Amino acid sequence: MRMRLLAVLTFAATLLSGCGYNQIQINDEAVNAAWSEVLNQYKRRADLIPNLVSVVQGYASHEKEVLTRVTEARANVAGIKATPELVNDPAAFAKFQKAQGDLGGALSRLLAVAENYPQLKADTNFRDLQAQVEGTENRITVARNRYIKSVQEYNVSVRTFPNSLTASVMGWQTKANFTVEDEKAISAPPAIKFDTPAAKPAPSAPSY
Amino acid sequence: MRCAWPGLLGLFWLALLPLFATAAEPVAVPRLEARVTDRTGTLDTGNRQRLEILLEAVERDRGAQIAVLLLPTTQPETIEQFSIRLAEAWKIGHKGADNGIIIIVAKNDRKMRIEVGYGLEGAIPDAVAKRIVAERMAPRFKQGDFAGGLIDAAEAIEQAIAGPAAGGAPPAETPTGIPVVSPDGMGGEHPDWMTWLFMLVVGAGILRLMLGVAGSLLAAGIGGWLGFMVFGSLLGAGGAALLIFLLSFVNLLSGGRGGGGGGFSSSSSDSGFSGGGGSFGGGGASGDW
Repeated sequence: MRMRLLAVLTFAATLLSGCGYNQIQINDEAVNAAWSEVLNQYKRRADLIPNLVSVVQGYASHEKEVLTRVTEARANVAGIKATPELVNDPAAFAKFQKAQGDLGGALSRLLAVAENYPQLKADTNFRDLQAQVEGTENRITVARNRYIKSVQEYNVSVRTFPNSLTASVMGWQTKANFTVEDEKAISAPPAIKFDTPAAKPAPSAPSY
Repeated sequence: MRCAWPGLLGLFWLALLPLFATAAEPVAVPRLEARVTDRTGTLDTGNRQRLEILLEAVERDRGAQIAVLLLPTTQPETIEQFSIRLAEAWKIGHKGADNGIIIIVAKNDRKMRIEVGYGLEGAIPDAVAKRIVAERMAPRFKQGDFAGGLIDAAEAIEQAIAGPAAGGAPPAETPTGIPVVSPDGMGGEHPDWMTWLFMLVVGAGILRLMLGVAGSLLAAGIGGWLGFMVFGSLLGAGGAALLIFLLSFVNLLSGGRGGGGGGFSSSSSDSGFSGGGGSFGGGGASGDW
């Protein structure tokens, strides 16, 4: 009896491995690893923000709107629990993505505003932090690209023919991938205004 | 429901299209032949050799591999996009230690970048890389002294690796490129039967390639015999035979893309310089002049 059960199990395992079971497992693990790296770099960025904000405050304390926006965006990001399961939940994934996108936008605005303060720009502390933020943004881009590639590979392995049967038997879904968050904003040509005074932007003016 | 699958698959590829569209005609990654690759004809022979000797000494003393590339432009990509692609292709640095650095100068774009491998991000954090770019390279590049800027940058990098922060840098124990066992690599401790299975599957794939289905059957026969020896039962033998038979096909299928495994093709020239398999994660800094 036991031998027969063993044989059935072996047979099933054989079928599954022939139908991409292992391949899907390998790809799944690759997606997890790539996702961890994305989270890692997002965290690195979030960790840089308090220092950056305090340095900028020292020279440009009246840029309240930009500063609070960064701080709020960071709080939003911290409010979302970035678990590995996030990858399997498209809605939560999109929300996480949006929060991170907002933080990136707020951060780049902060750095753009900093251009108006020569003393701030000359501060070594600020320059180091700026280099770190730039480097981290680049790492995020790299990590996201690698994640996109690994998800693409995983999704293909789940959806292509013999594997798709295995996947549907096991109940595996495709994973969410990154998209350009604000497609419309990017495809629209940027509005360029020359009439805003560079040195003193109105503190309460709504941005954009 | 079944008939919807092809449509969905098509949609999936459509969704991926923008990814390919943005990658329109990027600059091809140059072949890695030496530590210093100059596609712009900027460096004269003497300076080029000085730089190469310096970089060679860094690898000998510190274990870190440094490569330099001068090219006219990275357009339409940004220097960062090109740089990570280059890093993935060249694999500068030793495997496992990931102690590679690439200095890229896009002369017509007036941009440069220091790309730092994972293993050196501690010794050369972004801020340090940025300082080297802004303080060592940019002023000299402005005067047209590219060789001087690059040599100075290489010296600064060596100091950073050797400096007080060198705790993060691995000691120069892999000077000849002996690959360090990667912590997350596939080369972990498999049980013995995994090795056997692997050899069987590879053998089955080869037999299948040589003899076709007959090869698969032959491999299945061998597998069955081995299964009988191990399990001591006909059921075990049958299972093993079936397993090997099926796996011989799997192996064949994946054989098509398994060709690019080995990356050590330094047969082209004796002085050929090749990356040791280091990986990069986008660390470093860019600048302009």
